[in-house]
Amino acid sequence: MSRVTQIFSQTRIVGALLLAGSLTLAGCAATQKHATSSLVDTGSFSMPAYEKFTLDNGLSFYLMPQTEVPLVTLNAMVRAGAINDTKAGVAHMTSQWLLLGSGGKSKAEIEQTVDSLGASLQAEAGMEGSYLSADFMAKDTDKMLPLFATVLLSPNFDYAEFDKLREREVAGLSQDKESPRAVIGRYFNKLVFGTHPYGNAASGTRESLAGLSLSQLRAFHKSYYQPQNTSISVVGDFDPAQMKARLKKAFAGWKNTRELVQPELAQLPSLDKSRVLLVDKGDAIETTFLIGGPGVNRSNPDYVGLTVVNTILGGRFTSWLNDELRVNSGLTYGARSGFVPYAHAGLFQISTFTKQASTQEAIDLALKTYARLWQQGIDQQTLDSAKAYVKGQFPPKFETSGQLAGLLSDMALYGFDDSFINEFQAKVDGLTLDETRRLVNTYFPQHNLQYVLIGNADKIAKIAAKYGEVTRVDIKAAGFGG
Amino acid sequence: MKFSFSALLLSMGLLAAPGAAQATTAADIQSFTLDNGMKIMVLEDGSIPNANMYLFWKVGSRNEVPGITGISHFFEHMMFNGSKKYGPKMFDRTMEAAGGANNAYTTEDMTVYTDWFPANALETMFDLEADRIANLDINQTMVDSERGVVASERTTGLENSNWRTLQEELKGVAFRAHPYSWPVIGHESDIAAWTLDDLVQYHKTYYAPNNAVMVVSGDVKFDEVKRLADKYLAPIPPQAPPARVRTVEPQQKGERRVFVQKASVSTPNVMLAYHVPASSNADYYALDLLSAILSQGKSSRLYRGLVDKQVALEAEAYLPMSLDPNLFYIMGVASPGVAATKLEQALLTQIKAIARDGVTKDELEKVKNIKLMEFYHAMETINGKANTLGTYELYFGSYDKLFNAPKAYNQLTPADIQRVAQTYLTKANRTVAVLAATEEADL
Repeated sequence: MSRVTQIFSQTRIVGALLLAGSLTLAGCAATQKHATSSLVDTGSFSMPAYEKFTLDNGLSFYLMPQTEVPLVTLNAMVRAGAINDTKAGVAHMTSQWLLLGSGGKSKAEIEQTVDSLGASLQAEAGMEGSYLSADFMAKDTDKMLPLFATVLLSPNFDYAEFDKLREREVAGLSQDKESPRAVIGRYFNKLVFGTHPYGNAASGTRESLAGLSLSQLRAFHKSYYQPQNTSISVVGDFDPAQMKARLKKAFAGWKNTRELVQPELAQLPSLDKSRVLLVDKGDAIETTFLIGGPGVNRSNPDYVGLTVVNTILGGRFTSWLNDELRVNSGLTYGARSGFVPYAHAGLFQISTFTKQASTQEAIDLALKTYARLWQQGIDQQTLDSAKAYVKGQFPPKFETSGQLAGLLSDMALYGFDDSFINEFQAKVDGLTLDETRRLVNTYFPQHNLQYVLIGNADKIAKIAAKYGEVTRVDIKAAGFGG
Repeated sequence: MKFSFSALLLSMGLLAAPGAAQATTAADIQSFTLDNGMKIMVLEDGSIPNANMYLFWKVGSRNEVPGITGISHFFEHMMFNGSKKYGPKMFDRTMEAAGGANNAYTTEDMTVYTDWFPANALETMFDLEADRIANLDINQTMVDSERGVVASERTTGLENSNWRTLQEELKGVAFRAHPYSWPVIGHESDIAAWTLDDLVQYHKTYYAPNNAVMVVSGDVKFDEVKRLADKYLAPIPPQAPPARVRTVEPQQKGERRVFVQKASVSTPNVMLAYHVPASSNADYYALDLLSAILSQGKSSRLYRGLVDKQVALEAEAYLPMSLDPNLFYIMGVASPGVAATKLEQALLTQIKAIARDGVTKDELEKVKNIKLMEFYHAMETINGKANTLGTYELYFGSYDKLFNAPKAYNQLTPADIQRVAQTYLTKANRTVAVLAATEEADL
């Protein structure tokens, strides 16, 4: 639902309790199941058939026919994101530049073409990937595919449109900060990763965007938008042989121009004490907070197991965190936890919000509940339930052409394969109680926790100081993606 | 580019090209009605080994009165808090242990419960739903802790959404008589005050099988759904139909205005709302396309006229489906340095242009294609199918109206769009709401 339609209803649970994004794993050997565990059969689900091929220029394609509705999704993934920013926000702004007109056609002309077909064309940049995606009726493939290629390869040099984009983006950063929920992750990322590239806010800051020029975007485009650094997923209602011919025609002429240089990511900062970033929002009527620390990368062999353990802690309605903070105490509308994985590192975070007066009570209860992972551990019945839940909720994540195109792009970006889908159920089923203890002790951050609190700082500063070394910032101050 | 809804009608016919995708058709849906009055629709779809169960209850904030505002939504929460067979917490625990998940939502008109599960857990879902419909056990302790949850839900909505903050105030001014006047979540004082007895009465009145519609979609068989419905739901007795909502909003006789101050707002937000008929009125389709012409896509009137001109950072139109006459919303967020009055005038300029000059044929064809894409996207998932079918059943009286909608849209001409703009988007019929960090001083 969009921001607008959301205001017309009240929902029981805000957002999805599960982690955003798909999960990755490598060879996690299935271990013998616990003698008294009972496995729930949730039906079988496997990767739909697809074809992969690569052009001489290094550009790779994934083609997956799906015929439930007469639509096609195209998703181009370029291996470059906020970690590649030479100046904060360059990757993001480059992705938006693509939409300002291409191949001599103006922004307005392209928008008119796309809308008239009922189609959509979107671009975005994340931490490690930039994306261009299009969604249209299958009968319009001959109009949309060439347009898609032009937009990706040949953005116009339109200074007037660039200036307008920059003005909208700078103002948008201030708008974002009107909603604590929308921006708290940016503060947390920076708190944990500091000056490491993973600390970069994809959105940039209003100061960095103000200093950006179109030539800097062009330089970024030249450096990373190359066929050897890109993969394109095509999912939907098409004939594979015909589609292949069309794709070759559209992209065979694309040339690599430079050697690729990716940033050094191995040196992660170490966290030697607990710190609290206290973000002052003077008119706040509640306190929004995140607690956590380093997590795991997406190719971690234990990723599926960690998903199951996190489901028990804070990944579903009956999770410990939601049960304690919402159901038992009425302190909040929702409490959850999750891993945010990147290619070479990641985050773990507990997140919730509560009225100002119960700020300390909610933080203490979250910490106490989190400590159960070590003090009490997981019982067999709860593990069995979490396994059923994780398996049962898995297939709908890969139901639409858009979801499947996203999965194929993630496979290209993070280097995993079909076994992610095809072995998921067996890996979940194989998780034992002993394994959960190992996962808890190995991966969940127990010491030197990091905190972000957004609220009325004058009223909660004393509480914040109980949890670590406090740094106070104004939410309206530039920085942290604003 | 001369594509229209006729393509959809073709795709629903029998002569689709071999191998070509074919979206859901009316013939794919089977339905039956139990003796107790509950209508059940089934859509078999084995594309994933999952299914869902959507229960649409004909109760929302329109059925409330002052003193119990928000109780429909609060009740939605209480439906998860214990019944005879499955006590407190057991609904969610049982569902999740079977691999299922759920959510629920409440609007001005209805309360909808959504269960998503591996298809082989179908019987567990029937057992859970039947138990809470027939034997809800409202527990005072659960009422007390749930009050805190809903108070937090209200607060976090206001903290994080300027639109919600503004819309709440606007509705209170646009409606002075009809229950659409108050927010779905209710007034803060009512959330703190409703009683156990209020809740018991509410359940008895509205949670009767004759006041509900169920949709099951996914990897299920019709005969099995029918068998389980007979076993679990058929024994639940019907109740006397709820009293109808009597109040009709008096005609508005002149523009109304409201201002809301919120210190953290960086630029003014402006929301306009015009009274329009219920969705069952023939003008619904023209108003819906008018809304799309105004705000869908970057070639829309509001994007071209406001966002592209750096007057607004975003601008939207929205027409909710509605059982009673409701509002047509148009809203914008000002660009830096743009005053609320300038943004308001810019929005009005776009409305006036359509009322005066109409829309083009190309614009109309464009939004028909956008509507067709929306239909395909809804039919792409089992959840989209279930939610859309149930919604049409409630707002238009029958799910097969969904499949008539393409024809209704396709018949519209530019003159129809201009006529509804002239009829409804008038000064005397509107409420203007402004949200900003500071209120302008008196002259």
